[in-house]
Amino acid sequence: MNPKMRDLIVSSFLSVFLGLFVSGLLMLFLGANPFSVYGRLFSFLVRDGYTFADIFVKATPLIFTALAFAFTFKANLYNIGAQGQFYIGALTSVAASLLIGPRLPGIFSLVLILIVTALAGGIWGGFVGFVKARFNANDFLVSMMSVYVALALMNYLLRTVLIETKHEYPQTNPIADTLFIPTIIPGTRLHAGFIIAILVAIFCWWFLYKTTIGFRIRVVGLNPVAAGYAGIESGRIYIIAFLISGALAGMAGFTEVNGVQHMLVQDFNTTIGSEGIGIAILANAHPIGIIFGAILFGALKVGGSILGQTSGIPSSIIGIMEGFVMIFVLLSFWVRKKLELRRDIAKLKTGVNR
Amino acid sequence: MINIIARALLMSTPLLIGATAEVIAERAGVMIIAVEGIFLIGAWGGFVGVYTTGSYLTGFFLAALLGLCVALIYGWITIILKQHQIVTGTALNIFIAGIVAFFHRVIFGVPLLPLTIEPLEKLPIPLLSKIPVIGGLLFDQSILTYVAFLLALTAYFILFKTAAGLVIRSVGENPVAVDVVGISVEKVRMLVILIAGVLGGIAGSFYSVVYLGMYTEGIIGGRGWIAFAICFLGNWNPIGAIIGALIFGVAESIAIYMQSSGGGFLPNEVFIALPYILTIILTISRKQFNVPAKLGVSYIKEN
Repeated sequence: MNPKMRDLIVSSFLSVFLGLFVSGLLMLFLGANPFSVYGRLFSFLVRDGYTFADIFVKATPLIFTALAFAFTFKANLYNIGAQGQFYIGALTSVAASLLIGPRLPGIFSLVLILIVTALAGGIWGGFVGFVKARFNANDFLVSMMSVYVALALMNYLLRTVLIETKHEYPQTNPIADTLFIPTIIPGTRLHAGFIIAILVAIFCWWFLYKTTIGFRIRVVGLNPVAAGYAGIESGRIYIIAFLISGALAGMAGFTEVNGVQHMLVQDFNTTIGSEGIGIAILANAHPIGIIFGAILFGALKVGGSILGQTSGIPSSIIGIMEGFVMIFVLLSFWVRKKLELRRDIAKLKTGVNR
Repeated sequence: MINIIARALLMSTPLLIGATAEVIAERAGVMIIAVEGIFLIGAWGGFVGVYTTGSYLTGFFLAALLGLCVALIYGWITIILKQHQIVTGTALNIFIAGIVAFFHRVIFGVPLLPLTIEPLEKLPIPLLSKIPVIGGLLFDQSILTYVAFLLALTAYFILFKTAAGLVIRSVGENPVAVDVVGISVEKVRMLVILIAGVLGGIAGSFYSVVYLGMYTEGIIGGRGWIAFAICFLGNWNPIGAIIGALIFGVAESIAIYMQSSGGGFLPNEVFIALPYILTIILTISRKQFNVPAKLGVSYIKEN
């Protein structure tokens, strides 16, 4: 194994470990013994198949939002608005599902809904790329602000057009059960959306590293000026990258609505966008690494909510764990660079001595 | 009408403080992406300080101190270790949301009713506040409002009329030149970001201490990003920040007015989204930007 790869794997594990360790120290504030808390967390996770499968259920939308951030990151663009594109995706998914109802054959409608949802998320995200390309507007700011606009839109629709028949709560009617994404392990909530997420991650890897357009995206990210000289229109790349990115985040809405919630409620999954960014950082924006990062965060989420219910540890400890892990990953980037530098110097020295 | 304008001044206060902090930092080449987190921790620190001691001064001090701590971490990772600013800031924002929620729970448990404090009273300026119409508008405000406007004007003076300001601006435009003269780029950037952290913390405390008199998890709700946006839209100039903050203050006070008056011809959500939509429109329409040349770029000394 080459030393760079080894450093990456070792430092990632170390960052996760350190993150959990320091979060454990915080538990002392609550008078809890971190060892027993972690012991309980782990035993809960593997206690039964249902809980264990839930890790992958939670990981599914995170894979999508992390891919959404990573995809634009490769083009040196910043899609901080995955949360908003996720809301738009969820809205489209639920609206399409309610509209179609049990009228069409399930599998056919599911594909249709997925496409429509990806399109809606893509258009919402693509807008950012468009204004970046056309007006040189700051993508970071526009994508950030679009989250709050999407949130307001969702709240409005849940209160008016999409509200349940009883008009009691700001939530939709449940969708027809023919439109549920089929579960892959009976007795659990794990649905085929997880497989779609993995396939999409592999597709993203292939797209970014094996196709011409993926290559162009990365070139624009590395050096837009040089890309311009090479005849790559950066404006088109911006739009394409944001379209795909938004579509990815939108798909998270599809898997959450049709796979897990089977309806749309107010204030659900409010941290999915920012956690996606965290996972993308953890995986150094590599699509395959993202799968593993998302599973880790999924495990933290499941374990954290069980801890919150059964012991005195507030579930916000999960945010702290995630935050610490990310910060240690950032620090590890610095350490890795130092190590690499030292190796290069050592190589040069042996070369001179010979 | 007068009510809306007076409220606009009030609502523009934290945005102006935050935007001024951002202007100072970005002029030296550092974007404070952690601004949303700094606002949040400031709001929480302000609340905790006032709630536990009953003293507003302690509240502001704690908010400033926590803002300083975040800025210290952010500066250390981005300026000293030279890691990516946007990535670091985003990580810190998530981290702060977790840590604030955690410690809020640790300190206060799960109270049945939301904990409240008495919001800081207005501070009418003697004589001036007696001027008809204008007096009530401009000189019967919270102390933070006066501070915010004085701060922006002072920042303008320092940035553009003093030698120290020249150094700060040069660090953002041409760090090599500053380095050659023998001034440490890192030290200037660190200093500037620490100042910005203190200001950001105080700006955040406005929401809990002056405006709401309570703390909730969603208390900032993207206002930190709006301060960030105002810095851009104000063309990295404190005077621009004043104009920007006033525009957003008006937007926000109209939104509040519309909500309290039971809506009107448009749904509530339109007014809630108004400041964010306004940011997008202004970001798109603004053509001539005077971006500091080395904004967001770590300075690496060549040997």
